[in-house]
Amino acid sequence: MPDCALEGLKVVECNTTGAASYAAKLMADLGAEVVKVEPPDGDLARTLGPFPGGERHPEKSGTFLYYNCNKLGVTLDIGEPRPRALFDRLVADSDVFVHDFAPGQADSLGLVYERLRELNPHLVMTSISPFGHSGPYRDYKAYDLTSLSAGGWLWLNGWPLHPEMPPLRPFGNQSAIQAGVNAAVATMGALFARLRSGRGQHIEVSTQECILSILEFAFEIWAYMETPTARWGQRPIQPLDFFQCKDGGWIFALCVEEHQWQRLVELMETPEWTTWDVSTNRFVRAANWDALRPFMEEWVSQWNTDDLYRAAQEKRIPFAPASTIADLVDSPHLKARGFFVEVAHPHAGTLKQAGAPYKLSATPWQIRSPSPALGQHNAAVFGERLGLSSAEMQEAGI
Amino acid sequence: MPGPLEGIRVADFTWVWAGPTCTLQLAHMGAEVIRMESTRRVCTLRMLPPFAGGQMGINRSGYFNQYNQGKRSLQLDISKPEGKEIAKKLVAVSDIAVENFAGGVIERMGFGYEELCKVRPELIMMSMSGCGQTGPDSGYVSYGPAQVPLSGMSSLTGYAGWQPMHVGMSYGDPNAGLHAAFAVLSALIHREKTGKGQYIDMSQWEATMNAFGEAFVGYSMNGSQPARNGNRVDHMSPHGAFRCQGEDRWVTIACGSDQEWQALCSAMGRADLIDDVLFRTLADRKVNEDALEPLIEEWTITREPYDITTTLQAAGVAAFTPLVNRELAEDPHLSERGFFVEKEHLEVGTRKHAGIPWRMSDTPCEVQRAAPVIGQDNDYVLGEVLGFSPAEIEDLKTRQIIT
Repeated sequence: MPDCALEGLKVVECNTTGAASYAAKLMADLGAEVVKVEPPDGDLARTLGPFPGGERHPEKSGTFLYYNCNKLGVTLDIGEPRPRALFDRLVADSDVFVHDFAPGQADSLGLVYERLRELNPHLVMTSISPFGHSGPYRDYKAYDLTSLSAGGWLWLNGWPLHPEMPPLRPFGNQSAIQAGVNAAVATMGALFARLRSGRGQHIEVSTQECILSILEFAFEIWAYMETPTARWGQRPIQPLDFFQCKDGGWIFALCVEEHQWQRLVELMETPEWTTWDVSTNRFVRAANWDALRPFMEEWVSQWNTDDLYRAAQEKRIPFAPASTIADLVDSPHLKARGFFVEVAHPHAGTLKQAGAPYKLSATPWQIRSPSPALGQHNAAVFGERLGLSSAEMQEAGI
Repeated sequence: MPGPLEGIRVADFTWVWAGPTCTLQLAHMGAEVIRMESTRRVCTLRMLPPFAGGQMGINRSGYFNQYNQGKRSLQLDISKPEGKEIAKKLVAVSDIAVENFAGGVIERMGFGYEELCKVRPELIMMSMSGCGQTGPDSGYVSYGPAQVPLSGMSSLTGYAGWQPMHVGMSYGDPNAGLHAAFAVLSALIHREKTGKGQYIDMSQWEATMNAFGEAFVGYSMNGSQPARNGNRVDHMSPHGAFRCQGEDRWVTIACGSDQEWQALCSAMGRADLIDDVLFRTLADRKVNEDALEPLIEEWTITREPYDITTTLQAAGVAAFTPLVNRELAEDPHLSERGFFVEKEHLEVGTRKHAGIPWRMSDTPCEVQRAAPVIGQDNDYVLGEVLGFSPAEIEDLKTRQIIT
């Protein structure tokens, strides 16, 4: 095995929303030893699916299988005193503790930095929560959908010509992904500081703020122009739109820079409408898009999706197809890069998963083990690593 | 206050949104991030709205100013041999270099990893192109808005029965930027321990697919992908946006358990629904969702979204109104947490910007300065960092190397 960037880093994860799990996944995939502490009945992600044939099974949830490769899995009921004492020993023997318990829940479980620091002054503790650990919304309940609302993302999506349709969520659990990656970034910063100072610290991550930090120009359009945002209505430039192709697929037509538009005009063989005043530049086109759109639609409808994608890219025009999952799995480009990885799991079988988001030349991203079965590593972690006898483990309810 | 990356310098070749989001995280943590940019080919973001007061100008874009806070700007024409030499001098005294041109471009410009290693062997270099540096489509041009459909996210997002839709912003960009920052910092930790730098080839496309990996596992299991289904999900019900009193006002409500559903019923004054056999369990509510949602909207439509949020939160139900930008700017919670940043900018004065979404107890992070006007730090970088004399700097300006 080649070197890993985070080799030797010991991480403890407690997950309730997906955010802590994703932060720890990023670390595990670069070599950290992550101990995922699940309640005795398992991480919620074990119930989320997708499942093979739609049949629920705690070892076959696609969400769990994706988020938890390379981790060790243990079970502990940390609400009870004896298991909690064991949990403390685990934290005392670790570099990082990342969790996403709501602030009130973390308090009542005793998972507060002031206490854990006493056990381990080198600990970097990363607490992810929907609204942060201060302020009037601190104890508000949230799920992905409501976090996207609170952060301002949900409002941005929808259909400008159909105000009767509601603000629309993006697929997945994006508030958890963003809180997770922000938490992982901040944790790496704190670990770097620790290499120099020797001191651990507490990091607090607000999901609402993570979302608000990535709203493109939607927040600034208020601060700079006092203009409210509209649901996907403020596309200040065009083309930046979907069109259906001859084969039924969809292409996303995009020209960011003017020179890209000029090459698109060439590709379209300079139809008359592209010479009109309302086509002059990207801003003017956007202002008159209702009138121009049908011409573009007509032209696109004569192409097959992949042919148009390739023809546009040949001329360095940044079009893209609306890929299906099947398109991606079959993509020659992604195959050539070895993007998808096959992971053999003792219960779920061999499954193809999304692979490395980045290729580090000296310390590559890698899959070393599939997601753990419930409690699979209890003996390895509590027995071998922490030195408990089997009697002691039994007393703690393991 | 020194952040955790105090003393780390970043040679920033990035532009548009993805690359600058990566270096923004490093600037947030106290690294000295030096943008190399030129009026010959101005960064796309400097030319995109919103412009302060609606007046266009390369230093006036809120889009640029949001994602380049805390950085420095060196004007440099890197198409000229002397400009290239200065860029390499900067790399020689930097720890990290970041770029996000299309695959292969940085190498053709003369700044490939091997070339830069000659001046800085311990360099960590991050290339974050749209499609990566290898593979048949590596040279393809790609921007954040196109990453959403390309990655498959559009085929999964949309109202039930509608066409593939967008997600409302160029998500591929910031998602890639944050993942890139994580990879760079991991490499920095590795370098601190081993003394070795490395090269990182990142594909924004591949990073975007990592944001919904469960869909690929599901495809591998069943050979199918979930149909577009608006705001509904399999594991919660109700789960949606409901119309409120007022024009285009909404509230999102999600119930993660039967207890939360019962609490919602009580809060709506509809305790009678608790025992309704149509809605008793998640499975019941999923089957009868078409009947369930209008019952909730019947209650929300006569109420104001903030009142609903407060009422339901008090009952232990997850609810929040989808905030519009003005409401975000005026949100009492965000203000009390000190999230917003208002630093004096040389041309647009004091504007409100989103700040840093994490707090560190031992090495507090703070935005050091507003985004730079182009060339704001020419004298500092050329003089103090690179050691050019005032006369030499003047000469470089005259000969339009600094331009």
